[in-house]
Formats: sequence, C-alpha cells, structure tokens
Amino acid sequence: MSVAVMVFPGTNSEDETLRAVKAAGLDGRLVHWSADPASVRGFDAYILPGGFAYEDRIRAGAVAAHDRLMDVVIEGAQSGKLVLGICNGAQVLLETGLVPGTGPIRRPTAAFAPNGNGGRFRSVRVYARPVGARARSPFLAALGDAPIPMWASHGDGRLVASHAELQTIESGGHIAFVYSDEAGITSDAVIPNGSALGVAGLVNARGNVLAIMPHPERDGWVFQHRDGPEKLAAMNDGDAMLAPSGGSVIFSAFAQAMNAGVR
Amino acid sequence: MTTTSFESEIDAYIAGLSRYGVALSAAEIRRIAHTLGRLPSETELYAFDAQWSEHCSYKSSRHHLRRLPTDGPTVMQGPAEDAGILHLGEWQGERYGIVIAHESHNHPSQVVPFEGAATGIGGIVRDVLCMGAQVIAVADPLRFGRLEDAHCRYVAQGVVDGIAAYGNAIGVPNIGGDVYIDESFDDNVLVNVVALGLVKESEIIHSKAPKGSVGWDIVLVGKATDRSGFGGASFSSVTLDEDDAEANKGAVQVPDPFLKNVIIRASYRVFEELRAHGIEAGFKDLGAGGMAGCTLELVSSGGYGAIVDLDKAPTGQPNLPPAVIAIGETQERLAWVVPPSFTPELLRIYNEEFSLPEISRGACAAVIGVVTEEPFYVARFAGEEVMRVPTRFLTDGVRYNRPYTIALPDVEPFADFDARTRDRRVAKLDRATVENILAHRDVCSRAPIYTRFDSVVRGTTAIPAGEADAGVIVPIPGAPLAVALSVDGNPRYGAIDAMRAAELAVCESARNVAAVGARPVGMTDCLNFGDPTDPKHLGEFVAAVDGLAYAARRLGTPFVSGNVSLYNQSKAGRAISPSPIVACVGTIPNIAKSATFAIKRSGSAVHFVGMPQPNFGGSVYADICGFTSANLPTVDYDEVAREIDLMIEAFDEGVVLAAHDISDGGAITALCEMAFASLDRNRAGFQVDTSAFPDKHAHDEAIFYGEAGGFIVEVTDSTAFARLADRHRVFAPLIARTTDDATLRYNDLAFDLFDLRETWAAPLRDFYAEARV
Repeated sequence: MSVAVMVFPGTNSEDETLRAVKAAGLDGRLVHWSADPASVRGFDAYILPGGFAYEDRIRAGAVAAHDRLMDVVIEGAQSGKLVLGICNGAQVLLETGLVPGTGPIRRPTAAFAPNGNGGRFRSVRVYARPVGARARSPFLAALGDAPIPMWASHGDGRLVASHAELQTIESGGHIAFVYSDEAGITSDAVIPNGSALGVAGLVNARGNVLAIMPHPERDGWVFQHRDGPEKLAAMNDGDAMLAPSGGSVIFSAFAQAMNAGVR
Repeated sequence: MTTTSFESEIDAYIAGLSRYGVALSAAEIRRIAHTLGRLPSETELYAFDAQWSEHCSYKSSRHHLRRLPTDGPTVMQGPAEDAGILHLGEWQGERYGIVIAHESHNHPSQVVPFEGAATGIGGIVRDVLCMGAQVIAVADPLRFGRLEDAHCRYVAQGVVDGIAAYGNAIGVPNIGGDVYIDESFDDNVLVNVVALGLVKESEIIHSKAPKGSVGWDIVLVGKATDRSGFGGASFSSVTLDEDDAEANKGAVQVPDPFLKNVIIRASYRVFEELRAHGIEAGFKDLGAGGMAGCTLELVSSGGYGAIVDLDKAPTGQPNLPPAVIAIGETQERLAWVVPPSFTPELLRIYNEEFSLPEISRGACAAVIGVVTEEPFYVARFAGEEVMRVPTRFLTDGVRYNRPYTIALPDVEPFADFDARTRDRRVAKLDRATVENILAHRDVCSRAPIYTRFDSVVRGTTAIPAGEADAGVIVPIPGAPLAVALSVDGNPRYGAIDAMRAAELAVCESARNVAAVGARPVGMTDCLNFGDPTDPKHLGEFVAAVDGLAYAARRLGTPFVSGNVSLYNQSKAGRAISPSPIVACVGTIPNIAKSATFAIKRSGSAVHFVGMPQPNFGGSVYADICGFTSANLPTVDYDEVAREIDLMIEAFDEGVVLAAHDISDGGAITALCEMAFASLDRNRAGFQVDTSAFPDKHAHDEAIFYGEAGGFIVEVTDSTAFARLADRHRVFAPLIARTTDDATLRYNDLAFDLFDLRETWAAPLRDFYAEARV
C-alpha cells in the first residue's frame, strides 16, 4: 500500500514523517510540488506533513490548499482514500474544506488560527486523547483510549469557527482529539494554544480525512519520550530506546485502516 | 607617471574617501595602491574593505588564535574552512562526522534585532550545509542588556522572535543555548549561533575549487542580489552608537527562511547526484564580503583565479552598481564550482525540480564565471573590467600586531579572604537566599524563550532544550549514536578575569555534555570583545585565548572552528564584559546510556561530585548578597578530567539516573531544577544531609551556593557509584535521598518545591508573556 508524503515549498517535517510511515510497514514516498499530478493519482493514501507551506502566506495553509497537487489529494479524499494532515498539513486540510467537511471544497468553515498567546510559536510536549468520532472511522477506531504523547509546535493551532459551526463540529462527531494530561483530563492548563473545545484534531464525516495539530512523529520513538516508566525501562537497552512507541500508534492505525481496505 | 605624482594622487584619493564610507585605513589604501600599481576601482575598494575587515581577515586576532589547539584523534577537519568536523562514530561501515560552526551576529542584532538574529541563523546554516552536510541542529548563546530598559527589552524580544521565525521555518531543531542578562550588554547585545551538521567522511565537500578545476563553472545559487546587506563585513567591525544605528540599517541583510528551506533541500538533492556520479565539486556560502568574497576564497584556496561576469548574477533591483553585485551581502546565497558537464543537472535541480524562480522573485542558480589558472580575481561588468586583483593579496589581507595590556585580576589577599570565609561559615542555607537565587536573572527558567523555538523538528531530538545541561540528538535514523551540544560563557566571570572565565567556560561546557553521558570531543569558540585598538580590550582578548588554549589542551578538546567579534562597544566607550563563549560537542555511542536531569525515582541516593570551594567571585550568590569578590573558582584540570571520566563510566555502567552540572546558582539550583523537572509526575523532593562532607567543606555556603563546578547525580546504587568515584579518585559524597513529597528538607528546613518552582518560573515568563512553565 503506497502513501504519498507531500512536500510543498516550506514543508519541513517530511523526512521524519516518512520514517514513521515506513516504520508502520507502509510504502511511503516523498512527492515534491514539481511532480506530475498524473503520477500522484496512483497513491493509495496521502499525508501532509508539518512546516510552513508557501510560507503560510495569507493564512496558515491557505496557499498550499490551492496547489495543483491538492486537486489530486482532494479527489482522492472524495473517493474515500485516507488523508492525514499533521500541523501545517492539518491547517491545509481545513483550508481545503475537507475537514471538518461541513461546507463546500475550498470554502473553509473553521481554521487553526494564531495561538491565544498573541500568535507566538510555541513548542511543548502535549497529550492528545482520541475522542468520540471513532465509531465511524476505522482509522481512529484502531487507536486505544489512552492519551497519545505528541509535540505541539506551532504558532497557529487555535481552532476557531462560528458558534454554530463549533456546535456542528461537536455534535457531528468531528472532534478526533482533544488536548489532555497524561491521565486523559482536559483543562485550560493543558491546551497549548487556546483552541476551542480543547480540540487537537478534527475528522470529516466519512472518517477518512484527519487533521491533527500536534506532531505524533516527534514523540513516536522511545528515545523521544519524556521521562516516565517506558523511557526509564529502556535505559541501558539501545534497541528498546530506538523502538517505535507513543505517537507511532497514529501511523500504525493508519496502516491498519489501509490494510483493512478502507477507502 | 612619476612616483611623486602617484603618491600625491593616492593622498588625494584618500582625502576624498570619506564619502565611500569604508573602514580601510590610509596605510591600507596606500598598500593596495602600491601593490596594484594604480588606484583601486570602486568595486575593488569595497572588495578590499570587506576582505580586509576585522570580520573577514581577523587582522588583529589571527596570530593570537594560532595558540588554540586544533588537532587531535577526534578531529576530521580543523578550522581551515567554514566549519570544523569532529568524529561521531561508525555506523554500517561508514565513518560519520559532526560538522560544527559558530558565528556571531551581534552588530546587526543590536540595530535590527529581528532581522539580525534571523540572518545569524541563516548564515551559520549555510556554513554547515556547504560542507556537504545535513544541518541537524542549532543553538543560540544570547547576552541581553537589562530588561528594565525599554530598548534592551525591544532588542531581547526581537532577537527571540527573529530566531524563532527563521529557525522554525527552515526545519532545523534548536536544541540549546543559554541566556545571560548583564548591564554591559545594554548597548551591545550578543547573538551567537552554533550549528551542527552530519556528514559521512567519504562525502565531505570542501569550500575550494577542486584540483584540476581550471575551466569549471562558477555557479551562484539563491536569492536575487539586491542592495540589502551592502557593507555588512565592515559594519561588523566598527563601534556602534545610537546615531549610527539608523544609518547602518541598510547594512543588515534581509532574511528569507522560506527560500532557505527550499535551497537546503535542493542542495541535499545536489549532494545525492554528485555522490551518485562520483563528481568532485567546491561549495561555499556567501557571507561577509558577498559574492566576490565567496568566489574569491573558493578559487584562491584551490590555488586558482577566476573571471566573473557581474552582469550574469541575477539581480532583484534594476541598475545595481557593480560594487553592490560583487560585495553586497544579500542573504540566502551559495556558490558552486562544478565541472561544466554537471552544470545542466545542477541548474535543473535548483531551477526546475525545486523551482527556485517560483519560490522567490529572481531567485535561481546561474553560471556567473569560470575558474582560471592565473591567480587573479577578475570581475567584468557591462563590457568593462571592474576588478583585477591578485587573489592572495586580497584574501591574505593585512595583519596587525597591536599592543595589549593584560590586567591582573584584583584577587583578595589570602589573609583577608580566609578571614572573611571563616566569618561566613555561619551563613546557612535559608529560604530567602534560595528564592533570590532561583529568581535571579541568570538562573530563572528559560522556558519562555526556548519554547518559542522548535527543538524537535527532524524527529531526531532525544533531549530537547531545557531537559538537561546539553541538547541531545540521534542524527542517524536507526543508529544508537548520539550527539550532545552545550554552550557556555559567564559574563560575570569575564568582567573579573577574562582568562579564568575562558577556562571556566571550557570546563563547564565539557561538564555539561558529560552530564548527559557524552564524551566531550571538541569545541568551537566565539570571542566577543571590545575595541582591539584599545590595549586593555585586546589584552582581555589575548588573555581569554590563553585561557581557552590552556583548558582545551588539558581536557583534550580541540577547537575545530570559531569566530571573533570585536568592537562590541558603543562610541561612548562602554564595552561588553569579555565574553569568550564556548560550544562543546560530546558523543554518546549508545543513546540508551544518557539521561535528562529530572529526578527519576523516590528513594534514590543523590551524590555531590566535586570539591566545594568558598570562592564566590562572579557568583549569583555574591550578586544577590551584594558583596563583590574577585576570587573566581579555581580549576584543577586533573580533577575536572577525572570527574568527567567518572560520569561517563557511571552512565556506561547504568548507575546514573539523572545528572546536572553545578554552575550558576550553585548546587542548590541544580537540586531544585532536578526536582522541578519531575514535580508533576513524581512529586520529587529531597532529604538533604551534608554529614558526608568532611569538616573543612561542611559549610553550607560553599556546598549550596558555590559555583566551582561538579555534578549532582541521582544514582541507582550508591555503593556502586561510590566505588567508581573512589577508582577515579573523585570526591563524591552523598548529599541527599530523593523523596515523593515535593519538599526539599534539610535539618529543620522544609521548602515546598512547587512554591520554589513558581519563584523560578515567573521572572522571564512574565517578561515574555507566556502562560505556562
């Protein structure tokens, strides 16, 4: 099963995202913006990694959402292919309107807007807890209940939408992840950016397009973890320290859903 | 023309020079005219001004720098090029090197903090990239003026914003750095930057035209040349005052991290192609001295010359004069020397595959010249020759052996010192002192700064900034090899004794990497000082070089790269504290043998490694108590080396759970920070007991507040650790046991560590308006 990891000018997290994809047993490949769109259609799934695509001109993700290769990604998403956007990739997916998917294409109904601290970039360890939307998304269903360790590293991660849209997002089961502490409890103190409803990730109605702001690939191996029982147990054991863990479940769930033939 | 008339012509030329704004002296102009046998053209004048500036030529410093040790078993490449290379280790049959470069961007950051700090990152990243390396990490040593002052605040915030904006966008993790705040930086902020790269030894690219490259193409890559950054090299070599600041803004380059992100990735593609076809090439970054400076050094270091057509350089503004095209320091540019057979592929990668012209207006890769046998640098513009200079004459520049005086530090007579120390034995650990130390501007939490920087992009970071004394990355996916990086240099020490400050910076940076289990393998230095024409300031510089050289020899950590930044002084004559800043690279064969400084368990033994000293000169303790002392910590190099060996062996044997070096704020700060990092998870605390210290060291002041160095170490097995310490002949008494009640207890004292953490977290958090630790 082949996965395209899309690289736009300004993307900066493609290599580690590709590593995480490959560690999950998938045939991942980097696809640059200058690629022929026809050659991009053949992939079974798409991942949009983090960075600052097209310098985040206008708004985060706004220009990349109109890249010609995004036509291919949108087409794939509409045909049921799995699409995952991480950080800047999540911002792009909101700009395409694929997520939450409550409006027409390229007419965003919600955005990841400048952080509540005055729009300053912040890079901190967080947990993202999978929530309600899982029932209809086999991708999300493959995740457990446990909060997943990740890094929130962004300047624009605060979900904003109209009051009505936020209600739709909540009642329509579009919330895929909320920020929480290690025990799974959400409070203002653990939301790194002032995001509405504590949202860390959103999913479309069909369950095949997922946008998450924090980076699972930056806490996807034991050596990347914060101090805790798992890292402590791996001390003095090189193989254990270099094993996939934590955020890697996002990619293994992605692989599981692909192998199960989800489209 | 008769000699006399030529001389008077030169005099007239010199008299009329003021309008050019060059920093060359009259004697230097005469030398240029005599060697060329004519007056220099305008382009040549600016080329000499840049190449012979202090910034490019190290004309006041070079012969002193020769004293630094630059070789050793860990050195793959010494300081000959833009960056040095240290041996990391072997993986799958390949020898890997860590490229390291260290620069300053002090003057630009004082004038336009955001752009100055941003372009500092941009420049250092190119220095590492052009060795054929992947850029894997950066770190920023920062020295700010007093934050009570509005302008210093503006500078301090702009610098952090600039580093964040640039570094985060290009996708290189910022894994460390340090921050000191001191009034001596009120008029001159210091923004140093260190970058690391990863390269296989077999794939190093050199910054010179390869052997046999006569007739090869010189290709300029990157942003279209514009007027920004014209005069940057000589601007960096003058003193600053407020009136000049406005006029100097034009000399600061304009950053474009977005374009740089793409150029880095495109260059990685070029590396792949060169390797695939076994093609040798030369690659160098355009920094001070611009296009002419870069291409000149590329061909000159290969023993060749060049003919360059300035008309072929892509420009972003119309009607640029040739001098601006040749010397301007427009950012985001690099130059290649490649065989003509490879040129089409090179141009295709940059211009089509990575579509530079669509990324930034006018950006591209373009052939601008050719390598020649004759060792002359020739530049043509609009059909005319605007430059014809012997390459060596231009690159070798001038040397000055300027006078200097080294002031001996004002150390107290021993009798006074001893008496005062005896009196102060009664000073016990107390809450007010501990709070004042933790809230001190050089001790309080740096989280509001480092959380602004992306320390985990690339997915290779094992220990990000703030979790240990050094940042740690695992640069080769799948390999257990790890690299640690630390930067150090205490301006309070520098103000007292530049030489000892340099020695202590070397020791502390080495200890910092040892505190994560890494073996210190090499260093870089950035020497930030005042006006070298003032014998006092040059004396401070010379003393610091002596200190670095001696310490590095004793610890076996050569300097493979470095930078000198002089004239850090306002025209009012206020110079910075002598600031020799050191970066240390450590290597760890197995990432599983490393740890953060967070306390890991309750009930562990905690040891104090090292010998407390009652020397409080330059200490945070002295600062908050309001007494002055010139007695800096003394250094016993054998002891420092044994302590480092002990730490590495203890990590290797799996005995260490957490380690923190003892520096600013003393052991009490180290203990508190180890607990703070573990409060939320483990409610870590300590039951402290100093009864294991022999009587002569058993006074609280030296143990808890002294900054003589050493480590606080949480161990799995106290007996095993003590046995190792004995074997290394290191003094390592037990100082505490860890608890789980979030309290530091000592005799009848009990400090709530949540309260102390708030004291430590608040000062900069409030300044940078951050919400959380």
